[in-house]
Amino acid sequence: MTDTRTVTSSPRLVAEAAAGGSVVDVSFTINGIATSVTVEARRTLSDVIREDCGLTGTHLGCEHGVCGACTVLVDGQPSRSCLMLGVQAQGREITTIEGLAGPDGELHPIQQAMMDAHGFQCAFCSPGFLMSAVALLDENPDPTNAEIREELSGNLCRCTGYQSIVAGVERAVEIIKGQQ
Amino acid sequence: MTNTSGLVGQSVKRIEDERLLIGNGRYVADIDPPGVLHAVFLRSPLAHATITSIDVAAARRAPGVVAVFTGADMEEITHPFPPFAMLPDLYTPLYHCLSTARVRFVGDPVALVLAESRHLAEDALELIDVDYESLDTVASIAEGLSPTAAQIWEKANGNVLYDHVDTFTAEQGQSVDAVFAAADRVITERLTCPRQSNQPMETRGSVVEVDPATGHVTIHNATQSTHMLRWTGAALTGKRSTRSALKVIATNKQRRSAFLKGAKDFVSANGDSLKAQDNNGMRSQIKADKSFLKHANLIGIGLLGQDDYPDVFAQDIGGGFGSKGSIAREDIAVIAAAKELGRSVKWIEDRVENLMDGGQAREEDLTVSIAVDHDGTFRGMKVDLVLDQGAYPGFPVGAALTTRIMKVMFPGSYRWEVFEMRSRIVATNKGKYVAYRGPWANETWARERMIDIVARALKMSPTEIRLKNMIGDEQMPTAMITGPSIDETMSTKKTLERAIQLLDLDQFERDRESARATNHYLGLGIASYHEAAPGPPGYWEFVNPGNDALLAEEAQATVEADGSVVVYTSQMPHGQSHETTYGQIVADELGVAIEDVKLVFGDTRRTPFSLLGTGGSRGGPIGGGALKYASRAVREQIVDAASKLLEADAADIEIVAGNVHVAGVPSRGVSFAELIAQTSGDGFEATKSYRGKGDGGWSVATHACIVDVDLDTGKVTFPRYLVVEDCGPIINPAIVDGQVRGGVAQGIGAVLYERA
Repeated sequence: MTDTRTVTSSPRLVAEAAAGGSVVDVSFTINGIATSVTVEARRTLSDVIREDCGLTGTHLGCEHGVCGACTVLVDGQPSRSCLMLGVQAQGREITTIEGLAGPDGELHPIQQAMMDAHGFQCAFCSPGFLMSAVALLDENPDPTNAEIREELSGNLCRCTGYQSIVAGVERAVEIIKGQQ
Repeated sequence: MTNTSGLVGQSVKRIEDERLLIGNGRYVADIDPPGVLHAVFLRSPLAHATITSIDVAAARRAPGVVAVFTGADMEEITHPFPPFAMLPDLYTPLYHCLSTARVRFVGDPVALVLAESRHLAEDALELIDVDYESLDTVASIAEGLSPTAAQIWEKANGNVLYDHVDTFTAEQGQSVDAVFAAADRVITERLTCPRQSNQPMETRGSVVEVDPATGHVTIHNATQSTHMLRWTGAALTGKRSTRSALKVIATNKQRRSAFLKGAKDFVSANGDSLKAQDNNGMRSQIKADKSFLKHANLIGIGLLGQDDYPDVFAQDIGGGFGSKGSIAREDIAVIAAAKELGRSVKWIEDRVENLMDGGQAREEDLTVSIAVDHDGTFRGMKVDLVLDQGAYPGFPVGAALTTRIMKVMFPGSYRWEVFEMRSRIVATNKGKYVAYRGPWANETWARERMIDIVARALKMSPTEIRLKNMIGDEQMPTAMITGPSIDETMSTKKTLERAIQLLDLDQFERDRESARATNHYLGLGIASYHEAAPGPPGYWEFVNPGNDALLAEEAQATVEADGSVVVYTSQMPHGQSHETTYGQIVADELGVAIEDVKLVFGDTRRTPFSLLGTGGSRGGPIGGGALKYASRAVREQIVDAASKLLEADAADIEIVAGNVHVAGVPSRGVSFAELIAQTSGDGFEATKSYRGKGDGGWSVATHACIVDVDLDTGKVTFPRYLVVEDCGPIINPAIVDGQVRGGVAQGIGAVLYERA
C-alpha cells in the first residue's frame, strides 16, 4: 500500500491536493534503477515514465490503449503504460526503450535489426513495437512470420505498411541466432 | 570531379535511427520547460450552433487554473486568419483561433484553459457553461450544394465558396462541345471518394516558451513549415502591438529588418512569379467580404510594430502526411495565451481532437465524361469536381490549391483534343480539409477508374485502351493539354508496359477462372500516372499564376573553422529520412564520411527562409539539389585553397575521407581543419537556391492491384500489388521502397476502412 502525504514542493501537486485529489508515493525499478516518485493517484504510468522519470522514449499516440506506442515491459510482460496508473507500478520492474541497449551503448539485437532493415520512418511508434518484439523474442526466440504478425498486431504504424517492421523482427531472430 | 564516397544510390542505414531506436528522439511532447502551463481546449459538441452565452467564472476559480480564454478574449488579442491564396471565383472566410458567436463543426474550439497540469485543466473544462442554440447542419456535398441548406459562412454564396471553370483545347479554335458532339460515344459516370484523415501517429502539439526576463517567445512545434509558423504566429498574435505600433515602427528598424530580411530576399528572388498573380483573385475576395483589407493592414502594422519576433524549433516529428503543414488555430491561441500570461504553455493534442480537427482530406465528388471513338481513341474529357472542405479553410494552403493542381493533372499521361473542368468547393459542418499525401491524387483514381469503365463499354481490355491513348516516346517532347511539358526523361508508358509484362495477363485470366470455382472473384485494377515531383519548369505557373515562388529552395553548406561539415536546410523532416539522404549527397560532394555531415533543420534562426518547408515532393529533388550545389560550391573553395597550399593544379586535388590531397599522394594530404588553419583561417561557406535542372521534374508510375473477394465471407485480400515507378535517380533505395510501401498501405487502408 502507498501512503498519501502532503506535498508542498510542486504547484501541480499542491493544486491537485487542493482539488481533492490524492497525491501518493510510488516506488519501482525502471531500467534497473530503483526509483521513487510522488505523483497524483490518477497519473498514468506513461506520464510517470515520461515526465517524472524523464524517460521520453516511451510515446503516447492515442491514450486509449489502441495504438500501442506506449508499450513497456512490466515484470517482463508487454503492457500499455497509458492504461496503467502510476500507483499500479508499485514494487514492479519496468523496462522501457531506454533500457534495451547495454550499459556500454551496445544495441539490443532488435535495435540493430530495425536499423539494418530500415524498419521505421518517423519512428514515433517504434518504442511500442520494440518492446512488443522484445517480449515476443524473450518468450519465443524463433517465431514464424505469422507469429510475429500476431504479436505485433497490437501496435499501429502509419508510415511503413508494417512489412519493414516484420522484416526487422525476422532480422533480429537471425542476429540472436548468430550470437548463440 | 572524383566521387569519393559513392553513397548516393546505396541503401545506407539511417542516421536518424541512431537516436530514434534508443529512445533518444526529441518530439514536441518531450519538451518540458520549468513551470510550463498545460493547455486544453473546450470544443463544441454540436456540428452547427450559435453560442448564446459562455460562463467561465467557475473554471477560472478551479484549483490549479491560471487562466481561461474565451473566443471574445482571443478577439481582443489576435487577428483573424486572412486569405492566403486568393483565386478568381474563390471566397475565403475569415476566422479567429477560437469561435465566439457560432460553432461550425464538432470540435470547434470555444475556450482555452491553462492550468498547472493537464488533469486540472480538463477538470476545469467541465466547469465551463456554454449555451448553444442548435442550427441545421450541412453534412454532405449534396447538402453543401443545396440552395436551401443552412448557410455556414454569412458572406458566402450559399455554401459554395468556389466555382470556377477551366477549358483547354489542343488546337486553337477547337471547342469542347464540338469535339464531344463529333465523338462516337460519350460515357459519363459519377465517382465519389469518402472523407479520409491523415492521422499521423504523433498528434499535433506546440510548446511555447516565454523568457520571463525579455518576453522573447520560442515556439517548439510539430510543424512541417517552421518559417510559415513563425510568420503567422507573429502576424496573428500582434494585435496589441498594432495599437501601439507607430512609435515602435519608428524606433525598431534594426530588429524589424532582421526579421523581414528572409522575406525580402524571397520576394526579390521570386518577383516575376509573384507579379504573375491574378488580381481577379483579390477582386473575388473583396466582392464577398472586403474586411480582409482592414485586417491585412492591421496585421501588417502589428507585425512591423513588434520589437521582437518568435523563433520556431521543430525536431523529431511523428509523421504528418500533409496535416502538419497547416498552421492550426490552436497554434495561434497557444502563442497568444503564452504572450499574454508571460509564461510557457504546452499543448499536446489528444487523439480524439486529432480525429475531429487534425486534418481531413480527399472527400470529393467527381462526375467524369469521356468522349471516345469506337476504336478507343480518346477525344475529350469533362470533369465536374465538388470538394468538401469542411467548415474552416486550411491555412495557408486550402482546398482551392488542390483543385488547381487537379485541373492541371487530370488529363494524365494521355492525349486529348479537349479538356474541361468545373471546380467547386463547398463548406460543410466538418473538420478542415488539408493536404494529404498527394492531395490532388483523386484525379488519378477518377481518371483511371473512368478509363476502365470506358474500356468495358467498348469491350476493350483496360491495358489496350491505355496503351492506345498514352503519350509515348515517339510523341515527345510535347506538353500536357493543360500546359506543362513532357519530355523523354520520364515515360509513364514504359511503366505501364513493364507492369503488363510483370503481371502476365494470360495467367491472371486463368487464375480468375479457377478462383470462380471456389466462389472467389479476382479483379485487376490499373492506374498509370505522372506526378509533379516537383514538376517541370513553369509547372507551378500552370497550377496558379504566382505559385512558382513556392518551388525554389535554398540551402547552405559550410565547413567550419574546426573542419566540421555543417549544412542547413529549410526542409522539415517528419519520417522521410532527410538526414540520411542529404548526408549521402553532401558526403559524396565533399568526400567525407556520412557521419561527419551535420544537418541543421527545424530552426528558424539558422535555416534559410521557405514558405513551404516540407511538402509537394520537393525534399529529394529540390531540397537535395540545393544542398548538392551548395556543397559542390564549397568543394570548389576547398579545392581552390588546397591547390594553392599544395602547389598543385586544382584538377589534381582529391578529397577522400576528409583528406585533401594531390592525386596519388594521400600521405601528404591535409584535413579540412589543417587546410583552413594553414590558409585563411576561416571556414568555407556557400548558399545556393535551386528550382530544378530545367527538364523532367515528373515521377511516373503504374500501380496494378489484384484483389480477391471471398463471396461467402466478403473478405478482401490482395494476392498481388505491383508498383512500377520511375522517380529518377534514387538516392537511397531502401528509403524510397519504404515510402512507396507506406503510401500503398495508406491507400489500401483508405479504400477498405475510411469514412471520416
